[in-house]
Amino acid sequence: MNLLTIPLRNIRRRPLKTGLLLLVFSLGVMSIVTLSQVSRVVGHNLEQQLNSFGANIMVSPHREKLSVSYGGFHLGEMLLEPEYLQEAATKVAIESIGLRERISTVAPKLVTMVRLKEQAVALVGVRWDQELRLKSYWGTTSGRFPRERDELLVGARAATALGLSQGDRLAVLGRELVIGGILSETGSDDDSVLLMDLGLLQELMERPGAASFVEVAALCSGCPIEDIVAQLRESLPAAEVTALQQVVNQRMASVRFVQRLALSISVIILVTASAMIGLSMLSAVNERRCDIGILRSLGYARSRIFLIFCLEAALLGAMAGCGGYLTGLLAADRALGLLSLAEGLTPQFDPGQLVLSSLAFTAIAVIAALYPAWQGARIEPAAALTQF
Amino acid sequence: MLSAQNISKHYSCNGTRVSVLQQIDFRLAEGEFVAIIGRSGSGKTTLLNILSTLIRPDSGQIHYHDKELTSLAEKERNRLRKTDFAVIFQFHHLLPYLTVLENTLLPLMGGLSPISRAERERARQCLQRVGLTGLADRLPGRLSGGEQQRVAIARALVTDSRILFADEPTGSLDTATGSRIMALLAELHQEGLSIVMVTHEPAYAALAQRTVELEDGVRLN
Ligand SMILES: Nc1ncnc2c1ncn2[C@@H]1O[C@H](COP(=O)(O)OP(=O)(O)OP(=O)(O)O)[C@@H](O)[C@H]1O
Ligand SMILES: [Mg+2]
Repeated sequence: MNLLTIPLRNIRRRPLKTGLLLLVFSLGVMSIVTLSQVSRVVGHNLEQQLNSFGANIMVSPHREKLSVSYGGFHLGEMLLEPEYLQEAATKVAIESIGLRERISTVAPKLVTMVRLKEQAVALVGVRWDQELRLKSYWGTTSGRFPRERDELLVGARAATALGLSQGDRLAVLGRELVIGGILSETGSDDDSVLLMDLGLLQELMERPGAASFVEVAALCSGCPIEDIVAQLRESLPAAEVTALQQVVNQRMASVRFVQRLALSISVIILVTASAMIGLSMLSAVNERRCDIGILRSLGYARSRIFLIFCLEAALLGAMAGCGGYLTGLLAADRALGLLSLAEGLTPQFDPGQLVLSSLAFTAIAVIAALYPAWQGARIEPAAALTQF
Repeated sequence: MLSAQNISKHYSCNGTRVSVLQQIDFRLAEGEFVAIIGRSGSGKTTLLNILSTLIRPDSGQIHYHDKELTSLAEKERNRLRKTDFAVIFQFHHLLPYLTVLENTLLPLMGGLSPISRAERERARQCLQRVGLTGLADRLPGRLSGGEQQRVAIARALVTDSRILFADEPTGSLDTATGSRIMALLAELHQEGLSIVMVTHEPAYAALAQRTVELEDGVRLN
């Protein structure tokens, strides 16, 4: 029995009114929790989907370039000697950075030029599993993505230019390879190249473990891509690490849009719920003028009256925050299931978040009750006499 | 113990100034029982509430022991209300959502530390003293008017108040119940409690040692 008894009893006195208020506030909390959970999961999911539009970081060897010009005739930049990364070591270095959780795909590539039917064409060695994850938008017009070591995937333009079709056999770097499939038009560089297994290409070029460059796809919600790039640079001092900014920015914009939308709806709900708490406390203050007068005549200071109403709001807020969080989690789970938004991703129960959300909504309820509580604290002891 | 000089109070109603009390002097000695009488609207309640610090007068001074109450800091006034003064209102005394025992302990419930076992025991004794032994856990809504009045008296006893201010403590009660309340007040007065009581009933006023009569805000005797 102490000061808390008064608000506690008051909450208990009108179970219907309290219940209704709690229900509305809990619903508000629930929708906010649902929205934030859904937006988080969807954001994550969206990021992964967006990720399928390619890499956002490129790791390449330092190039020794020599700009050659003679007598005003510009010969362009000449590579003295193509340099290579060590595939395995680079992969290990990339996967050892602090933000490694953010790295979703590491796709090494080895590029060389070959002559086919009197035409020069680029031959790119890839690790199929990584490459297909990075380029999930790829499709084939005929055949399939290579599964065997000696299968080739041919870009759409290259296939037309060279008159190649699925099942053709080609001698490449002294080995007979078979065309496993023709890539559908992608609008990218992939259209004009031949793709094959990286391991086999390293073998044919007699460059075991070599990679021309490595494409990295990183998820960057909540962490700037610059941080990942900086860590990669530190981990790979000999290599050049560049962020493909535009891709990243565009990607983040979509994710942020979803999250901002959820945030603004949450704010509206929150303001409405707070207004409800505030109004209900205000009417409680008016209803209880006489009670306040009695307390004041018994020597309760204004600050005590203020505290009583704040405590009452805090109790409501804590209950609504706790209940709303739990129901919100369930609702988020349902919503994600119904909208089939996130395969395999479900909202996670987190006791820390439960405590945090209860605290946050307690604080919000108290803030909403500040004005009514102040009004209550202003009531004079004589109020106990004037109201009948 | 308590004395007031030149107390004046007015209210403004729709722009017109209504004078409720004019230049009232009042004295209460230690252990004295004073009744305030007068016609309805004569200003009895207003005077009582000014004396018990619930309302501030427009002018005049009130001395309690060596303190001047009208200029006293809010904090000190709160302390006096809690420890030295007890008020019994005509109608509203109890918080409807607290039990009889909790209402009795209300003056001690203002802090965050819980009520001690000793305080609780003392509250039960006070309830016993006013004849409400079995009703400690009831809510006020299920008490009679006389029982509610007695809870308010028990509450005054629990803090060992020096002065009891009672505004028509029998006003809403039937004669038999009213008489019992008055008997209780008389008993408490015998034990040394100082009482200022507003009443309409000449018979109850006769129980007091002294009466102060008001008419239209002016003291007659
Ligand atoms: N808060 C107020 N605002 C305006 N006028 C008031 C207020 N309180 C009291 N009055 C007026 O002051 C006058 C005296 O009121 P008060 O309550 O002191 O009378 P009373 O002697 O206690 O009357 P009763 O015997 O009916 O209780 C009345 O005319 C009343 O209308
Ligand atoms: Mg009166």
